[in-house]
Amino acid sequence: MTAVLQKKICMLGGFSVGKTSLVQRYVHSVFSETYLTTVGVKIDKKTVTLPDRTVNLILWDLAGEDDINSLRMTNLRGAAGCVLVADGTRPSTLDVALSLRQRVEAEYGPLPFVLLLNKSDLKEQWAISDADVAGVRENGWWVQTSSARTGEGVEDAFMDLAVRTAG
Amino acid sequence: MTASPDILEELLRPPSGDSAIDRKALAGLLIEIAQSLKPELRGQQNGVHPGDLQLEQLRTLLVGREIETLSRLTGVVDDPERLAAAIGRVLPTAIAQATSDARMGHVLAPVMEKAAESSIRNDPSTLVNILYPTIVPAIRKSIGETIDETFQRLNQALKYSLTWRGLKWRWEAWRTGQPFAEVVLKHTLIYQVEHAFLVHRHTGLLIAHVAAENAVSQDPQLVSSMLVAIQDFVRDSFSGADHQGVDSVQLGELRLWSEPGPFALLVAVIRGDPPEGLHDTMRNTLSRIHAERHHALESFDGSSEGLGDVEARLRELVALGEHAPPRAKLGRVILLGFLLLLSISAVAWAAWWWHNQQLWEAYLERLRAQPGIVIGEAGKRGGKFFLSGLRDPLAVDPLKLLGDAGIDPARVETHFEPYQALDPQSVLRRLKVTLAPPPSVTLAIEGDRIVAKGSAPRAWLDRANAVAQMLPAGAPAFDFAGVINKDEADEQQWRAYVERLRAEPGIVITRSEAGDGKFFLSGLRDPLAVDPLKLLGDAGIDPARVETHFEPYQALDPQFVLKRLQASLNPPPGVTFAIEGDRIVAKGSASSPWIARARRAGSLLPAGAPVFDLSAVRNLNEGVLGKLSDAIEARSIHFDSGASLPAAGQEKTLDELAVDLNELAALSSKLHVVTRVTLTGHSDSQGQGTSNLYLSVARAEAVRALLKKRGVDPDLLQVRGAGPLEPLEAETSPAARLANRRVSFSIGFEEAP
Repeated sequence: MTAVLQKKICMLGGFSVGKTSLVQRYVHSVFSETYLTTVGVKIDKKTVTLPDRTVNLILWDLAGEDDINSLRMTNLRGAAGCVLVADGTRPSTLDVALSLRQRVEAEYGPLPFVLLLNKSDLKEQWAISDADVAGVRENGWWVQTSSARTGEGVEDAFMDLAVRTAG
Repeated sequence: MTASPDILEELLRPPSGDSAIDRKALAGLLIEIAQSLKPELRGQQNGVHPGDLQLEQLRTLLVGREIETLSRLTGVVDDPERLAAAIGRVLPTAIAQATSDARMGHVLAPVMEKAAESSIRNDPSTLVNILYPTIVPAIRKSIGETIDETFQRLNQALKYSLTWRGLKWRWEAWRTGQPFAEVVLKHTLIYQVEHAFLVHRHTGLLIAHVAAENAVSQDPQLVSSMLVAIQDFVRDSFSGADHQGVDSVQLGELRLWSEPGPFALLVAVIRGDPPEGLHDTMRNTLSRIHAERHHALESFDGSSEGLGDVEARLRELVALGEHAPPRAKLGRVILLGFLLLLSISAVAWAAWWWHNQQLWEAYLERLRAQPGIVIGEAGKRGGKFFLSGLRDPLAVDPLKLLGDAGIDPARVETHFEPYQALDPQSVLRRLKVTLAPPPSVTLAIEGDRIVAKGSAPRAWLDRANAVAQMLPAGAPAFDFAGVINKDEADEQQWRAYVERLRAEPGIVITRSEAGDGKFFLSGLRDPLAVDPLKLLGDAGIDPARVETHFEPYQALDPQFVLKRLQASLNPPPGVTFAIEGDRIVAKGSASSPWIARARRAGSLLPAGAPVFDLSAVRNLNEGVLGKLSDAIEARSIHFDSGASLPAAGQEKTLDELAVDLNELAALSSKLHVVTRVTLTGHSDSQGQGTSNLYLSVARAEAVRALLKKRGVDPDLLQVRGAGPLEPLEAETSPAARLANRRVSFSIGFEEAP
């Protein structure tokens, strides 16, 4: 345990963007969903093996809030990186994700972020244009479409974060 | 700041004037340049003067800006305020940069100490205000824990102070010299530190974790983060204060104690009941870890490198615990023993149950035989016997019989409805309770009857009679004819007495009763009738046993009327009363006032009373006395005008008067009549009123004295003066005046006292 590296990663996103179900299948989880509704945070672990070392990403899954002011900022204290999740079928959630990021950076300075545009399996309802995605990406963002159903993008996102935070 | 004063002075020293410039050399240089440009100038005289203005112009041209900047700087440096402002602008940056230099701290320390010292000297409250928020919670927490620990010790010490174990521990305390409370704690606080987490406070990441051998837990990395999240949650939600997290959580048997350090949080998961002193131990461990690995903790970034030996410290903590003394290592032996015990108790229980059942049956049998008890239902319910039925309140108490039967009354529930048993025994029992027969009476069952024998007072017999009539149908008959009335003799005496009293005139008996050895008598009684109580003695009855109440009334019986008349009229000796048929007849002689009074009394007699006949009473005033008094009153003695002695020639009249008066006195005493003779003196109307009044009195006195001289008892004679107020005739002539100057006589009879 002492040989591995740990990093605190926060998962943020608007209400019902599927952030919890997104990671459910890919993380080590011991706490139930009720923590999210009671304590407002649920902690999971994702172990990423890099060529030279193993990184344990301690994932702080923060309760989905559309009202970014009610985000409990203490939970973000000491975070090494963030996973922002937006719902690809609801463009408003992208705005929420972007403003969440702004709020976090205002408080804790620049952090490695990855943005997951979730529910990529719902192609016909997809509402975020490629242009929007390109725009975000041009700002130096790591953007990835993802799907809780297919698992698309999830592992990549964590791998990216592991590399960026452990570097 | 490190610059010494001389360097500053060097900097600030003003330029030493123009002397610093070698003008001569400069002029030479310029001429040389000019000559090299124009060789024809070589021949000319060195015409440039050191004081030439052109030189000055040239200097301005070449270094004019520098001179200006320099003078500005000099201005700043010369003016202390501007200099201070300039340095102030860069000072924070300078200090920030100098911080990396280790010397900075050394240099600043004495200054800071001085500053703090003077600040405290000026106003200590400033420092107090600064330290208060940090020191007070720490002190409060420390005091709180000490109090908790004290209470814990006290509680345990009290709890065990008088038990066998307690005595054993006292022995141990005495032997080892430890305080008793500590020995108690050692034995009673069974606990085990199962996990120790060292958590990075800032990130919530796990630095180190050690678990006891037998402890199980979820992924410690997740647990530590969650602990921090929950602490944050509680802090954000409830406490508000920055440094007050959750330092103790209890969940059933498990306790979470957390100790915050500057960088790391030490969390112990404890099973059982730890002593409060464990807080101190944890705090010590944490501060040791901080002291040893200060830098590693401060720069912790998720890698546990350089923190490997922290685990050893945590392991010391996890090794802590106080275990329950091993009971018996051979669990199987215990199990076997337990099973054996179980089977023995099962057999014992069965035997006990059977025995109880036997006792119960015997008890029921006995209870059924009891008169006045009817058993309806009997059996077992919920491990208890129950019994219900009817019970005469006077029957034996079923619960009392339980003791005799050897059954614990607590195991029996009974419910009996009260009823009235009619079997002879129960009826006999009830009669004994209700009648409370005196010792002289015995009650017994004879066949289907209850028979009373002996002797009893009348009152008891009356009660027995009432009870016998109230017995319900179907009950045995109650025969008390054989009981002799103890009060019979008394009652006969009483009846005789009442009979006698009834015969008495002037007594009417309205109620006479005998009971409980006492007699009651009430009615009407004429005050002149015989006293009933006086008759009691003759009848042989103790007056103390008799209560009488008589209302007074007036009896119309002739004898009583006679008595009452005699009492009220007080007849003179010459008068006698007698009953003649239905009349009361008075006989004899009396004065006319008495006769008048007697007549009045007779007329006031109520209707139905006998007639009071006064016709046979002779009026004294109409006999000899009357004639005598008429003769005396007809005379008068005359006086000359103004004279108090009788006029001449009246001796004969006086002599005759004396004879008549003496005769009157003799007759009066014979007839028991008091006679009063009044001599009234008169005057004519001539002369003074008062002197006439005196004169009239003197005339009456003179006649009295003359009559006394002639042998008349002066006590018989009364004297009064009327002056001219009672003239015999109107004074129209001297003859009339003469007639008015007189002493007249009047006679009255009174009854003898």
